[in-house]
Amino acid sequence: MTLNRRTFLGTGAAATVALSAPRAIGASHGRPRVVVVGGGAGGATAARYIAKDSQGEIDVTLIEPSRSYYTCFFSNLYIGGFRDLSSIAHSYGTLASEYGINVVHDWAVGVDRDAKTVALAGGGSVPYDRLILSPGIDFVDGAVPGWDVTTQNRMPHAYKAGSQSELLKAQIEAMPEGGVFAMVAPPNPYRCPPGPYERVSMVAHVLKEKNPTAKILIVDPKEKFSKQGLFEEGWAKHYSGMIDRIGPDFGGDKVSVDADAMTVTIDGAVEKVDVCNVIPAMKAGLICERAGLTEGNWAPVIPATMQSRLDENIHILGDASAQGDMPKSGFSANSQAKVAAMAVRGALTGSRIFPAKFSNTCWSLIGTDDGVKVGAAYEATDEKIASVSSFVSQTGEDAALRKATYEESIGWYAGITADMFG
Amino acid sequence: MSTGSGIMLALGGAALVVGVAYGVNTRSYRDAELQVMTDRLARVEATNAALRAEAAQTDALTARVAELEAALTDAQRQPEVSAAAVEAPPTPQIDAAQPGLGNAQAGADVFRKCQSCHSVGAGAEDRVGPHLNGIFGRRAGAHAGFRYSEDMAMMGADGLTWTLDTLDAYLENPKALVSRTRMNFAGLKAAQDRADVLAFLRQYSDRPQNIPEAAPTAMAPEVTLSDDILAIVGDPEYGAYLASECETCHQRSGADDGIPAITGWPEADFVVAMHAYKQKIRPHPVMQMMAGRLSDEEIAALAAYFRGLD
Ligand SMILES: Cc1cc2nc3c(=O)[nH]c(=O)nc-3n(C[C@H](O)[C@H](O)[C@H](O)COP(=O)(O)OP(=O)(O)OC[C@H]3O[C@@H](n4cnc5c(N)ncnc54)[C@H](O)[C@@H]3O)c2cc1C
Repeated sequence: MTLNRRTFLGTGAAATVALSAPRAIGASHGRPRVVVVGGGAGGATAARYIAKDSQGEIDVTLIEPSRSYYTCFFSNLYIGGFRDLSSIAHSYGTLASEYGINVVHDWAVGVDRDAKTVALAGGGSVPYDRLILSPGIDFVDGAVPGWDVTTQNRMPHAYKAGSQSELLKAQIEAMPEGGVFAMVAPPNPYRCPPGPYERVSMVAHVLKEKNPTAKILIVDPKEKFSKQGLFEEGWAKHYSGMIDRIGPDFGGDKVSVDADAMTVTIDGAVEKVDVCNVIPAMKAGLICERAGLTEGNWAPVIPATMQSRLDENIHILGDASAQGDMPKSGFSANSQAKVAAMAVRGALTGSRIFPAKFSNTCWSLIGTDDGVKVGAAYEATDEKIASVSSFVSQTGEDAALRKATYEESIGWYAGITADMFG
Repeated sequence: MSTGSGIMLALGGAALVVGVAYGVNTRSYRDAELQVMTDRLARVEATNAALRAEAAQTDALTARVAELEAALTDAQRQPEVSAAAVEAPPTPQIDAAQPGLGNAQAGADVFRKCQSCHSVGAGAEDRVGPHLNGIFGRRAGAHAGFRYSEDMAMMGADGLTWTLDTLDAYLENPKALVSRTRMNFAGLKAAQDRADVLAFLRQYSDRPQNIPEAAPTAMAPEVTLSDDILAIVGDPEYGAYLASECETCHQRSGADDGIPAITGWPEADFVVAMHAYKQKIRPHPVMQMMAGRLSDEEIAALAAYFRGLD
């Protein structure tokens, strides 16, 4: 995406814009103010829909530290060599120039819920009438003994896309002949239930071409995982003998790592590995905790509107929210964002509110032209977002259907990124 | 779901036409789709012919109304009550507009009736009946190591899978679903009791948040069909909201790589295609799921909205 002058004004120099944007709001007296923290699948969609549908009636500010958002979705395909990195990068230019959203490139460091302001790392604060938090995930401290964010460059998680994905890909390509790639898979719930297993498929795809005697070891605390039958069928078909998975019955839940020695210890047994992809247990993006909106690791919400159960002026979207049955996915976050956008507009401008509808589909690529999918429809009940129907690709499907499923995922990617970034 | 003959006729004729036009954009699955559609259409047409012979349109409509009413009473059926109990306040009903979700806590009490034979939860074991951990999403008669009745095993082999819907039917009247099941239980007649005990049991099976393909946790609200679907005037403003769900995949710009464009269609074609998905005449699972939960008014609203985009 090319930057034009207005874009540059919209998303340029963080500190100055950070301070001037809120003042500009003060000048546009009386317009209700929505502040969105996090410009990912949930936040970018919510900001765009509120700005688009309120047609200038609502002032929208989006706070997001990165100038480029690398989608986690399709980052595994980048690792597998099916996409290049630039194809999963998106900027906020159009949201600023076409939709009039104040894009502030900074971190939100705190929320004063009484004063209704968000504090920024660069100084200053932004007032809101409604706040939307969609900060994604952070990792639970100490979840994998021996690993913390200071070791993440030696043992990458690549579970926030961008430089981490690049690093992991480079490490895989530099593996010695016949080397071992280990993945420490996360416990439930985590973002993108099939994500680790799609990743394994993509790593296997690379190794099969470049380093066919290499091995992949998955250390998994979970008994089962999503699309398991489909992945295992695909692994046997495309990467026979390459992938081993150690589940909790063999100590997959008792794992520690040593980044200096490059070892993984599974229930006392030490394994020397060449690449170690540690995906630790997850929790809501830290800002939710700082705002006092979490219970346990996640932020509970009211299903029909995605409002925090602890503060009706704040909506929490995507991975960070505890909403019930929806998996933590980009598709889910996007779907929740539209429901929240409608609720926010209804509350601030009296626009019509229709019944909440949610859906999700997750595609995964197992090998070249071998795509599978899982999806479900959901309804809001008082208690939770409840799944009311689901489907999943079947084992034994023919190659044409799998190829069509893969092509569909490419179409979906184009669709959702246009829906997020305009 | 069965439908009135008029609807099926309209769908039968037009769905094929739309399918062909639509196929331009869906190279890869067009052929499979057309084949399935052609087969189904043949069956639909046979049914229609039979229906025409049997009854005039009005009769079919009357039947449909009766059918809908029956479905309604089923969903709300009260326990058999004696004359003396008639005065008692009605048991809570599942609101037809809300997805059916029982109360797990109340369900724990209802489960007492099952406990002499079934256990569930940590350390549950098979007793007279199989333990019920992981029952949702499992084929009937497929829990390894348990000896089922022949009928139950056969139903499983035929494809009976335990979901909220099938378990609800089974619990209401076990022998009506699986004639010679060994489960010696008269059934739970109150819909609320069944919903509650199922909500209780659902906690011990895969959770959709972690395994998205896991069996649903709530029953989809019933969507009713009116007979003049094509005459409904869509509300484009509502359509614009509903369309946000479509636009996650189908681009608003009309671009069509991998996922077909849906802008600028004649409204009638759009409506027919969506009903064809809803009735599972068109085979795509994502679209069947999406269309399956849209009411007729919602489909009309979407058609009106997308018609306006070019
Ligand atoms: C490998 C992998 C593959 C995946 N594949 C798929 C897929 O195929 N399909 C799918 O639907 N989903 C997929 N996902 C999941 C998907 O990426 C996430 O579920 C989705 O991005 C969640 O959206 P979100 O808005 O909650 O968070 P994010 O998209 O992560 O956005 C959060 C944003 O908030 C910003 N932020 C965080 N804290 C602050 C703060 N304090 N102040 C300001 N900004 C902040 C971050 O910089 C980030 O840009 C995948 C994930 C992974 C890791």
